[in-house]
Amino acid sequence: MDLRTQRGTEGFWPRLIWQGRIFGAYFGQFVKMRLAYRMDFLVDTLAVSFSMAIQLTVLSVLFSKIRALDGWSFEQVLFIYGFSLLPLGLFNLISVNFYGFSDKYIIGGKFDRVLLRPVNTLVQVMFESFNVSGLNEIILGTAVMIYAGMKLNFAFGVGDFLALLVLVPSAALVYTGVFLAITSVSFWHEDRMGLAPPVYNIIRFSRYPLTIYSLPVRVFLTFVLPFAWVAFYPATWFIGGGQLPLVALLTVPVGVVVFSGAVWMWHRGAANYASTGS
Amino acid sequence: MSEALLQVRGLTRDYRLIKKREGVSGGLIDLVRPRRELLRAVDDVSFEIPAGEMVGYIGANGAGKSTTLKMLTGILTPTSGEVTVGGLVPWRERVQYTRHIGAVFGQRTQLWWDLAVVESFRLLQKIYEVDEQTYQRQMGIFDDLLDIGDYLHQPVRKLSLGQRMRCDLAAALLHRPRVLFLDEPTIGLDVVAKENVRQFLREIRERDGVTIILTTHDIGDIEQLCRRVIIIDKGRVHFDGELEDLRRRVGQKVRLTVDLRDTATSAELAATTGDLPVRWTSGEGRRHQAEFNRSEVPGAEVIKRLVNGAHVLDLSLAEQPIEEVVRDIYRQQGRPTP
Repeated sequence: MDLRTQRGTEGFWPRLIWQGRIFGAYFGQFVKMRLAYRMDFLVDTLAVSFSMAIQLTVLSVLFSKIRALDGWSFEQVLFIYGFSLLPLGLFNLISVNFYGFSDKYIIGGKFDRVLLRPVNTLVQVMFESFNVSGLNEIILGTAVMIYAGMKLNFAFGVGDFLALLVLVPSAALVYTGVFLAITSVSFWHEDRMGLAPPVYNIIRFSRYPLTIYSLPVRVFLTFVLPFAWVAFYPATWFIGGGQLPLVALLTVPVGVVVFSGAVWMWHRGAANYASTGS
Repeated sequence: MSEALLQVRGLTRDYRLIKKREGVSGGLIDLVRPRRELLRAVDDVSFEIPAGEMVGYIGANGAGKSTTLKMLTGILTPTSGEVTVGGLVPWRERVQYTRHIGAVFGQRTQLWWDLAVVESFRLLQKIYEVDEQTYQRQMGIFDDLLDIGDYLHQPVRKLSLGQRMRCDLAAALLHRPRVLFLDEPTIGLDVVAKENVRQFLREIRERDGVTIILTTHDIGDIEQLCRRVIIIDKGRVHFDGELEDLRRRVGQKVRLTVDLRDTATSAELAATTGDLPVRWTSGEGRRHQAEFNRSEVPGAEVIKRLVNGAHVLDLSLAEQPIEEVVRDIYRQQGRPTP
């Protein structure tokens, strides 16, 4: 018997489409499961909305004292903040399995099961569970952006809409790439605490105009831990700021590079898992 | 093609262990200079399994069974050696390979904990690209043989262990794999559930010709399912052959139980069998037990002497349970094999 002749879906694009369908199947199951726990969903939604409301209050209190931040108006800062919530929401939606990955998958042995299925390991881990609170962030972010945009008398054209469609996913790729890389480390180190929480806290810096920070911080957020690309740089496409709108488009290659690097790391890690069999 | 479906050659797997020292000071030393140790879990294992065979892979805890199974399923990369299954190398062509195999690892379920059973099957249908017709046919077979229809709509976490094991088996076979790997498929099940699982495995093998490799501690599994067994200890293969050959190799020990009309001592009974190599192991009063080896003395001879020497009401002969056979195989280690 030759099993080599019996193959499944092949080729890059057919496989990508197929993986998209797998995503759809997982997501459908997830929604069904969530509906079974309706209270959880309500509590989640309330908690996230509450924390967003507090952050907005802090911003408005801050700006009632100072009208501008290093040349950026309250509305502009608000716009960046609103924009930052969109990729963050997308990222939160799919990244929930990165948290506790080491505990659940490596130490708990769930990764063995992942390896037994004919689907890319990363696709399985990312799509096995979702975090619906990501949807709240997307909705809230959209509302904040519309509000700030109106205050700024921003004429939103077709080009801007297309830019949004490209920039938001690219920024989400930056987030996902950074945390995927951190998660991949657990293939080598069974680290329960993890780097993720401190890095997650640094995200806050990305919600303000980068120019308010000193040069080392700016360099750090642009090149080392590239969180400047999740909100500030892409948002400048809409709110301006010298040469920055052109820089905004660099978000796309940055997202692709960061994410691809992380995927590479992930697969190296998975190979290491198979060879150490921890 | 005459080549065996599954070919294993010189399969070896080392684990690098860090040996922890005791106490706090030991922990500090470990931090600076960890003591590393190499453990050979699987050592130069070779065998071939033709399509459609059902093989028991047995050994004590830590003998290397699970490690072997992990390498055969592609979860683990071996240190050295080769495995090909239908021309595929498990750990090298993982995605391609896993389409053709099913696996159930004892206590760990493959199903999604919070989903209804049927939803798990629907997901697996998409993952394995099973067409609707095949899906319906397979589900029909599972319902026939495993009776899973009753709890298809319950979430997996609410199933009993026996129900879950049946669902796990069905899930592993939904995509009609050519090879099925089972790690302790009956562990923790009650007698009825065990019997169900065994019956199912026999039928699915006859029906689909699926090749089955199972590890187990349960001798009943082996006696009822496997004609061929591979015994592994300390990572090495100690026996590979038919169950009957195994019995023959360690000798055919038989346990004899006699019921007498009158009470007697062991010594009196031993006198009846005289110089025959029979060992009277236990008993007093009217019931006694003895052991002998069929390869050394025919059963009829023992019984003839016994019946001539004492008033026997009833007697029975029992084959040595396979557990003891395996234990004897371990004991023979180091002794030259005949």
